[in-house]
Amino acid sequence: MIALGVASVAAMLGAYTWMSNRQHRANPEDTTIPAWRQMAEGVKRAVEPNARTGERWIVVDAKATATRLFLGLACGLGGAAILGLLMGCFEVVEAVFVPPLSLLAKIPPTAALAVFFVMAGTATEMFVAMIAFGVLPTLAQSVYLAVRDVPRETLYKSYTLGASHTEVIWNVIVRAVLPRLIDGIRLQIGPAMVYLIAAEMVCADLGFGYRIRLQSRLLNMNVVYPYIALLAAFGFVMDFSLRRLQRLVCPWRQEKGN
Amino acid sequence: MSNDDIVLACQGIHHWFGDNKVLYDVNLDVVRGEILALVGPSGCGKSTLLRAILGTHPPRRGKVVVTHANGTSEEALRPGRDRGIVYQCYSLYPFLTARENVAIGLMFDQTSLPFRFFLYPQWRLMRRRHLEEAADLLETLKLADAIHRYPHEMSGGMCQRVAVAQALIMKPDVLLLDEPFGALDEATREELQRMLLTLYAENCQARRRGEPPPYTIIIVTHELNEAIYVGDRVVGLSQYWNWRTEGRDHCPGATIVYDQISPVYLPDEEPDYGSFFRQRTEIRHAAFDPAVLEKGDELRRFWQDVREGRGQGVLAASPGGEAAARRPEAATGAGR
Repeated sequence: MIALGVASVAAMLGAYTWMSNRQHRANPEDTTIPAWRQMAEGVKRAVEPNARTGERWIVVDAKATATRLFLGLACGLGGAAILGLLMGCFEVVEAVFVPPLSLLAKIPPTAALAVFFVMAGTATEMFVAMIAFGVLPTLAQSVYLAVRDVPRETLYKSYTLGASHTEVIWNVIVRAVLPRLIDGIRLQIGPAMVYLIAAEMVCADLGFGYRIRLQSRLLNMNVVYPYIALLAAFGFVMDFSLRRLQRLVCPWRQEKGN
Repeated sequence: MSNDDIVLACQGIHHWFGDNKVLYDVNLDVVRGEILALVGPSGCGKSTLLRAILGTHPPRRGKVVVTHANGTSEEALRPGRDRGIVYQCYSLYPFLTARENVAIGLMFDQTSLPFRFFLYPQWRLMRRRHLEEAADLLETLKLADAIHRYPHEMSGGMCQRVAVAQALIMKPDVLLLDEPFGALDEATREELQRMLLTLYAENCQARRRGEPPPYTIIIVTHELNEAIYVGDRVVGLSQYWNWRTEGRDHCPGATIVYDQISPVYLPDEEPDYGSFFRQRTEIRHAAFDPAVLEKGDELRRFWQDVREGRGQGVLAASPGGEAAARRPEAATGAGR
């Protein structure tokens, strides 16, 4: 299986090399499908200190993007987990929050970019709010449904075993929904990155989205592709880490594919 | 028998869901230490009665009173640790191993959330003891090899034994089994039936020593053979009774139409299902036949038999004792 995975990546790289060679035979100066040599130059530009500012693009961009992403995810995921749990456990919270969340979950955060821009400016807060707004409704609904799926019999039994309401929530419900919470987080990493990159493309002066947009306009695809590859690698590492975390904290969970 | 013999009393229980009348004037006194098998046609309200006893769905009218081993009584309005439950679907915690599943009740019962957070070292010591106790109990139920397995790694029979252990470790006043063996194969079912009879044998020994029997069990089952074999008393609940004589147009719900002693078996004793024929026919006639609405009082002669010393096992220890003497005539719906 591993060999097959390696072979498919090698096939992708081979196809790219073939396309690039064909393009460069027609136009040796082409930068839309850069050759590997050009790609190396692009990576060098991103990694080496900039002649004008003295900053390394990759460092400042990664720092800005990672800060926005992790703060946004922390707020969005933390809020979603707590809200989803409360909605699943308490009818009053359910009645108050389920209708508005169902509505908010349907609004693409990128469509509401102007609203965030007006309300929070272009500072980090705007990106954080956008990511949180983007992931919270969907994940909160997912957690809420996971809580509702905990069999009633299991809860009744907990009370017959002497559990208090708080213990039922903490020791039974939270543990039962943990795998689905982690699954939900895994599924929200991708959309969160989409929201952030889109927002950075429109109103940022640092970050991966900003750099990709700027270099795309200059047709410096030898910088753009490595940035995209880095985003893909980051997403893969995050997903892999969450899967490992899930195996670690939920060893009882039966694997049903990734 | 002492005054604490009646461990559970269902007093005039009525239950309905909208226009759907389910239970009507159900009166049932359960003797401490007995295994009461509850049978009846599908949809007659057996599980509803069990839920009323459990406290998850308290009756619309009437009440369920539990008498604890210390003699205090309490109305069952919500689930509590005095009533254990084992469901057909096991309802084990999927995130805990067999041993942890059994030990979790001790944790809930003997510690609190703040205690476990703020006095962690003491909690660790207690935890070790709980796990040892759980492992011992699982060993007695022949699950020593499975203590570290998660529910999805065990067979249905093993899961059901863990579920029974989970309930038993709490030493509940009453253990409720809701069609516990319905999803199991014949061999596993028989094995678990023998496990219940082992508990019953312990009850008999305790009674002989003059101690209160530790296990009182109400088992809901579809299998009449199982009811007669495992139970020392069979109660039939049915909607087929002569409610028209009370001037009604519609059945007001199921009530108890059959309540009799059944033979007591030792765990290693092979049941003679052929000898169950008479009682099986009686139960079918009383509870399952929609054409038979007239139910004679001879079908509900449990307390009369106990008074006359015909009880076996736990009921034989003191024939005609206080439990029988104290019991009101209406308690089985006699006279209906």
